[in-house]
Amino acid sequence: MSGEYIEDSAVDVSHTHEEKSSAFQKLVIVFNKVKHRLPSRDYWKPLFWSLGSIILALLVSAIMMTVMGYDAIMAFDYLIRGALDQPDRVLQYATPLILTGLSVALAFRCGLFNIGPEGQLLIGSMAAAILGYVVALPFLVHPLVCIGVAALAGGLWGFLPGLLRAYRGAHEVVTTMMLSYVAINFTQYLAGGPLKEQGEYAWISQTTRILDTSELAKIFGPYLHWGFAVAIVCVIGIDFLLKRTVLGYEMKAVGLNEEAAEYAGINSKRSMALALGISGALAGIGGAGEILGTHHRFLDGWSGGLGWDGITVAVLGNNSPWGVLGAAIFFGALRAGGNRMHQFAHVPIEIVGLIQGLVVIFVAAPRIIDWLGRQTIDSASWIKREPREGLPGIAVLVFNLFGLFLGIGISASLFATNPILGVMFSMVGIVSGLVSYRILSRQETALSLSIIPAIAWVDAMVLDILIGEAMFFNMGMVMVIVGLILSVVLWMMQALTVQPDGGEV
Amino acid sequence: MTLRIEEGEVHGLLGENGAGKSTLMNILYGLLSKDSGRIVIKGEEADLQSPQDAIVRGVGMVHQHFKLIPTLTVTENVILGLESTLKRLGAISRRASGLIKPFIRTDYKSAEEKIRRISEENGLIVDPQAKVADLSVGLQQRVEIIKTLYRDADILILDEPTSVLTPHEVDELFETLEAFRDSGKTIILITHKLREPMALCDRISVLRDGSLVGTVNRQDTSPEELAELMVGRPVVFRIEKAPASIGEAVLSVRELKVADSRGLTRVRGVSFEVHAGEIFGIAGVEGNGQTELVEAISGLRRPLGGHIFLSGQDIAGQNARSVREAGVSHIPEDRQKRGLVLGYNVRENMVLGKHHTDRFTSGPRGLLIDGDSILETSEKLVDDFSIKVGSLKGQVSTLSGGNQQKLIVARELAFGPKLVIAAQPTRGLDVGATEYIHNVLVTMRDAGGALLLVTADLDEVWSLADRIGVIFDGQLVAIKTPEETSMQELGLLMAGHGVDQSSQGVSN
Repeated sequence: MSGEYIEDSAVDVSHTHEEKSSAFQKLVIVFNKVKHRLPSRDYWKPLFWSLGSIILALLVSAIMMTVMGYDAIMAFDYLIRGALDQPDRVLQYATPLILTGLSVALAFRCGLFNIGPEGQLLIGSMAAAILGYVVALPFLVHPLVCIGVAALAGGLWGFLPGLLRAYRGAHEVVTTMMLSYVAINFTQYLAGGPLKEQGEYAWISQTTRILDTSELAKIFGPYLHWGFAVAIVCVIGIDFLLKRTVLGYEMKAVGLNEEAAEYAGINSKRSMALALGISGALAGIGGAGEILGTHHRFLDGWSGGLGWDGITVAVLGNNSPWGVLGAAIFFGALRAGGNRMHQFAHVPIEIVGLIQGLVVIFVAAPRIIDWLGRQTIDSASWIKREPREGLPGIAVLVFNLFGLFLGIGISASLFATNPILGVMFSMVGIVSGLVSYRILSRQETALSLSIIPAIAWVDAMVLDILIGEAMFFNMGMVMVIVGLILSVVLWMMQALTVQPDGGEV
Repeated sequence: MTLRIEEGEVHGLLGENGAGKSTLMNILYGLLSKDSGRIVIKGEEADLQSPQDAIVRGVGMVHQHFKLIPTLTVTENVILGLESTLKRLGAISRRASGLIKPFIRTDYKSAEEKIRRISEENGLIVDPQAKVADLSVGLQQRVEIIKTLYRDADILILDEPTSVLTPHEVDELFETLEAFRDSGKTIILITHKLREPMALCDRISVLRDGSLVGTVNRQDTSPEELAELMVGRPVVFRIEKAPASIGEAVLSVRELKVADSRGLTRVRGVSFEVHAGEIFGIAGVEGNGQTELVEAISGLRRPLGGHIFLSGQDIAGQNARSVREAGVSHIPEDRQKRGLVLGYNVRENMVLGKHHTDRFTSGPRGLLIDGDSILETSEKLVDDFSIKVGSLKGQVSTLSGGNQQKLIVARELAFGPKLVIAAQPTRGLDVGATEYIHNVLVTMRDAGGALLLVTADLDEVWSLADRIGVIFDGQLVAIKTPEETSMQELGLLMAGHGVDQSSQGVSN
């Protein structure tokens, strides 16, 4: 076409066109490469599960807080702001969790359960604490030597169960856990006995303060020390070990299928012992970082279960190094924010533990998340298929779930002052809950039941006026009116859809 | 699909793996529920929610993997779920409700009598008091059949009943089934072997990809036609094989003795040689020491005594890696347990066992994995061996059985082995994949490779091997070429009948 105008331009056009297409082809190639590099859908599933679990856990703990009579919204407000305000605190809390989590995750990827990072962490931290004040070394070298020896000590604490498992068949769950108690009691004995600091504070079980040369400097803020950088290096290192090295390939193969690994000529015994050894070393480094960066001495009971929490972190992080990093930072944020929440919203700090526990329960039971996901898809297709019935159906569901939350919440705050009204409101909540369960499980009669919660709200209002001084009158009236409107709309919709059927019969 | 099965016939259900045979029958037995359609049993529409519903309607099923509890006796296994209480307790036992019933003694005696009667009437002799764990596989299958008869089944479904039996036991089973047919029972035989329905069935239905391709009368068909229906294209049965050009001995096994994990000697002084350019077949019923023999040669199990020479070098007692490095490849008998790491993807499995060699590593002292080289090799092998994979990054567990086995074969043959040990290389594979793997193995042999083929499949060893050693109870009872022996003789040797006993058997 363009050739008919000017020859030159035609050449030009075709020329640019060629260039364009080659550029376009390049783009396609790059795109394909990126697409090739991107992980598959299955890869994202654990992330989806973990995030879903966190959301669910927060929801459930909000309900619990409300039931216990705390202001959940205010609590979360302080929790989130507490975490965002002090990133150094969050990362400092996260540092040991990254390493203990990595320890559990690495062992798990190699088919082993390391239940004993607590002991490995303590042994490592004790080694670092001793080396920190016994030996005099220059700056920079001193902390590195301390960390190295701590890794060796922790590694030994993991290597031993590894050897027992590989060559004697003793299950590592038992041996790592038992050795953990050995470490806990041994370090306790050292801190309170032979290595106890004498002098002014002799009544505290703690070792002498480490030398200044061995201290880890702060990165920024008053809390965050260079141990965090060490932890990040470990994350990268373990990720590299698992993905790119022959050793990682072999260790993972042993974990996935020991018989096939042996068939392939892999020394599975050596792999197992080594995996637990490295796993222990990671926990040991975690301990050393805390001593050199935060506590500056071994104080009896300083850990407070960082090792055990490592198991939780690994579960939430789906046993992948980067997942562990994310999970540890999340838990660090929970702790930093939890302190703020405790201070200002007066919610007990144990709520943080509750959230952690709930997260693990939901991660360990991915079917709950799957079920909810399916329900959402189901509901969406319900609305698409039968918008006349589906839309009000979803509205009724939302109404009832809100009613459940509200009823239980009000009743909890009333039990102390007005138990009769408290029981009434909890009944309302339970009725709403039952109706929403029936809608969720797609029972045909469920929608016609939608009038019942509305009636329940009316009853509660009457009772509220009679003996409760109309404390919740406004909110209750809203619920009554919305409930009635919904059930009338629903009834009309059903009448509209049923009639033609009746006519045919 | 619509499938009609007449009363009193033996109906063969033939199809490749994954064609839907077992699914269909599991629906009929109430183990799976149907999406749509109808099942009519004896003119009555049946809504089968559980096996109980099927059993009530007289349907009995013998599964490929027996559903027996090894530590219980035959009687206990047979009456499991149907325990009747002692009659002399009379009214109590009759009125006993669910709560106290478990505490009333079970009436073993009459159950035992009934089992004895059933087994005598049907020629299924078995001791009702024997423990199932002590019975041979053939006898265990009898217990499964008795179980269905005890529940008054007159429609019998048998899922791949012959896959675990010796040739002799197969003959016995077929006699029993013929007797059943004569007594008016209906039998459905699920199989992917062609010989069986041709020997036994009245009509044969062929399934492919979940739909019925056709139902034929046995008289009107041939194995070739059935195979074509199954695979969807003509199948060459006889493997085209040039005469072997035998070279020097690659593997030489001398007086090898091997014990299993429990310490029982399973290989008791075996000697043989495998030459370059030949396929040496070891035929035997499973459990006669083949597994231990293969594991000893491939370095997975330390032998008790004897020598294994590979090109003159004694490799007995060396570990699996040195044996591999010496040039031994191994196609293991259990591909999912030994041959593959199911949690790994196709690429990672493609270099399993070779992952540490210079070719696939980089960096200082070969500590790092060379992903590009692995990818390149995987792409080439997937192409060369026409392995059907969704993606090289896909989990190997998503591959079909045939493609999993092809992957292993590709991996074991690709890197120039001196000796290939192929243990049960086509077990559980369909006709197409079997044909392919046979051809690859023969190509390997023609190129001068030495092959040790260990198999329980008589047809396979017969058509592939240049020399056949028969293993029984840990000893090689005979080494013969296919020319100087017959299938029948091999079958008898495999079952432990010596040459003199076999001649007796023939005269009987």
